[in-house]
Amino acid sequence: MTRKEMLQLFRDVPIIAFLVYSFTLAVYITGNGIRSQLHDAGLLVHDADHSVSSRELMYRFQAPFFRLHGEVLDSGEGLRQLDRGTAIAFLEIPPRFHEQLATGEPTAVQLLVDTTNSPNGLSAASYAARIVARFGQKIAVERTESSAESSQDLPLIVSDHRVWYNPDQNEAWFECISHLLRQITIFALLLPAAALVREKERGTVEQLLVSPLSPFQIMASKALAMTVVILGATAVGLFGIMQPVFGVPIKGSVWLFFTLTALFVVTTACMGLAGATLARNQGQVGMMTLLVAAPMLMLSGITAPMEAMPTWVRYLMGLSPLRYFIDIANGILLKGAGLNILWDSVLAMTALGAAMFGFGLWRFRKQFG
Amino acid sequence: MNLKRITAVASKEWRETVRDRMFFSLAFLLPILWMLVFGYGLVLDVENIPYAALDRDQSSLSRDYLYRFQQSRYFDFKGALRDEREVEPLLASSRIRAAIIVPEKFQERLNAGQTVGVQTLIDGTFPLRTDITKGYVIAINSAFNEERLVDHLSRRIGISRAQAEHRARPITLEVRYLYNEEVRSTWSMVPALVMFTLMLSCPLLTALGIVREKETGSIYNIYSSTVTKVEFLVGKLLPYVLISSMNAVVLWIMATLWFGVPFKGNLLFFLMASFVFVLSSTGVGLLVSLLVRTQIAALIVTIIIAMVPTILFSGLIVPVSSLSPGAQFQAHLFPGMYYTNIVRGTFLKGIGPEVLWTDVLALALYAVILRFVGYRLFTKRPRS
Repeated sequence: MTRKEMLQLFRDVPIIAFLVYSFTLAVYITGNGIRSQLHDAGLLVHDADHSVSSRELMYRFQAPFFRLHGEVLDSGEGLRQLDRGTAIAFLEIPPRFHEQLATGEPTAVQLLVDTTNSPNGLSAASYAARIVARFGQKIAVERTESSAESSQDLPLIVSDHRVWYNPDQNEAWFECISHLLRQITIFALLLPAAALVREKERGTVEQLLVSPLSPFQIMASKALAMTVVILGATAVGLFGIMQPVFGVPIKGSVWLFFTLTALFVVTTACMGLAGATLARNQGQVGMMTLLVAAPMLMLSGITAPMEAMPTWVRYLMGLSPLRYFIDIANGILLKGAGLNILWDSVLAMTALGAAMFGFGLWRFRKQFG
Repeated sequence: MNLKRITAVASKEWRETVRDRMFFSLAFLLPILWMLVFGYGLVLDVENIPYAALDRDQSSLSRDYLYRFQQSRYFDFKGALRDEREVEPLLASSRIRAAIIVPEKFQERLNAGQTVGVQTLIDGTFPLRTDITKGYVIAINSAFNEERLVDHLSRRIGISRAQAEHRARPITLEVRYLYNEEVRSTWSMVPALVMFTLMLSCPLLTALGIVREKETGSIYNIYSSTVTKVEFLVGKLLPYVLISSMNAVVLWIMATLWFGVPFKGNLLFFLMASFVFVLSSTGVGLLVSLLVRTQIAALIVTIIIAMVPTILFSGLIVPVSSLSPGAQFQAHLFPGMYYTNIVRGTFLKGIGPEVLWTDVLALALYAVILRFVGYRLFTKRPRS
């Protein structure tokens, strides 16, 4: 029965083509191309002072965060360029800037930031604030030194931040792991659901039912066949692209990773199957899975961090197996965590899978029993 | 081209869609439900970062310092630690995302005018969150430092606090946020969600609708009828263009009335541009429907070519300008990016055709090319 499912799947050439693409090339493109941190934010400057200090400040806005997009002669031109979207920030340095700094008169520079994309705008403002503060501190310390004090003897906190698990903050790791999880979810949700509905639509489900197979075996074989296929694709993505190309580490146990991936696929497949028992044709199941899949993919914690989401959304995402699998996958691959640490995520995911399977089976029996 | 035959195909398609009540209602419900869930849920801000603190000093100054993190809405205090060994399992299980370790003699050394290092350990799995968390830590530290410095200067050199403040901070940065003055995440997300929703629902609806006929075999009636290729394609697409255009209007109403996002641009221009976008995204659905035979395949192909690039390369979350050159190139290949410029531009910036005409042109080209390819791919004599 499981073999039949696999044969049926392998006959559908477009699906196989996209399966291969999704787990190889797509993972490569995403790992290589997406940079969610502030990067190359276009900056325009209107420098009304043209002094050593204004130049120095201007050139402190550097790659990788900012890219100097040129100077404009007046603020009107700067605003027009922001409208057009050619730059996202516009720095205005006032006349007498250098003089004010030299005489110790307080001075201010202005930054206009495009916040049509609010996180990006905030990030640009925060980096700009850091750059200006460091420039200011340099001047402050120079002045304090001139009043005979050494800069080491100041009551300051030196922030010693260490980033764990991904010390170089290599975004490719995050992006390609996330993308792998995204693809696993899509295929795990869709393939079995669609396979079941296809049988329903064509009436072949009745054929299966008169055969010596229980509803449990029918559902399980569908979930099982897809799990094997998806695990194979995951292995290709992980060992074929992520490890050799991006150097994604596998700090924990490979076996644990694949066992829990299988558990995740089965859980998600059961979700799809449960949905499929509610739908009458493939069109319906398509719409229903997409209705569920998009929130799962966007809100489980690989696209946006979950912490800031409203409470009800976080509760709702408690129903998304992906939410737990993200902690599990990152835990094993990057953090080297084992079951002793991940047990609660594993437990939650298993419970969810069991509930989905139970519901699907009940609906299936009710419809055909 | 015979108008009567086009209407015949279109009305048949329409009736088929309407008859499947669940499909039909999902066609309208899906955009609305997504808009609600994502409008509220897709918050890109980094806030409430769970963290734990280890205070080795237990002095009034160290408590004052740590209190600043507790006070901040960016951090969510999960408890005090007693030992450094407690940090690792908490970070590994994702219960906390950061840990702050204040060293011994924190107060003593600061009061003596010495520099002190404070250690923060940050979970690096999600680089964007890591980066922003680091930014918050630096901001809290520098605010604390500034106060210490002002204190120090006024005591040591004997100048007034106001003077000392000038010395400690010679330049201020005045930030003005444009287009979204209060920097509300909703204002920037919701217009882009109009794009996201349409970009997914239009192709899906179209592809499923057309492939359904292929799979059930009723398409043979068309092959043997007198309907020409153009008439068939136009008629087929008409209902889906209609449904999607209605959805565009509904989404605009939700964005402005429900989520209260300001609409600063020209409504007529927005509607026209949206119509062009609907034409190009239904074109994606048409293309998919011609390439595959089964509805499952249509579904998967649509999701892979529409959903993933739309999440990643449309400017919805990551601005196109900060993608790598290769990914930017890919972004330009999908209609989503152009429409993101149009929705954000018309909603928040209040700009119109004078700036956005290039984006509309790109979408129009897209629509035309997809239809042309669709026309070439569609044959009334399929290989069998």
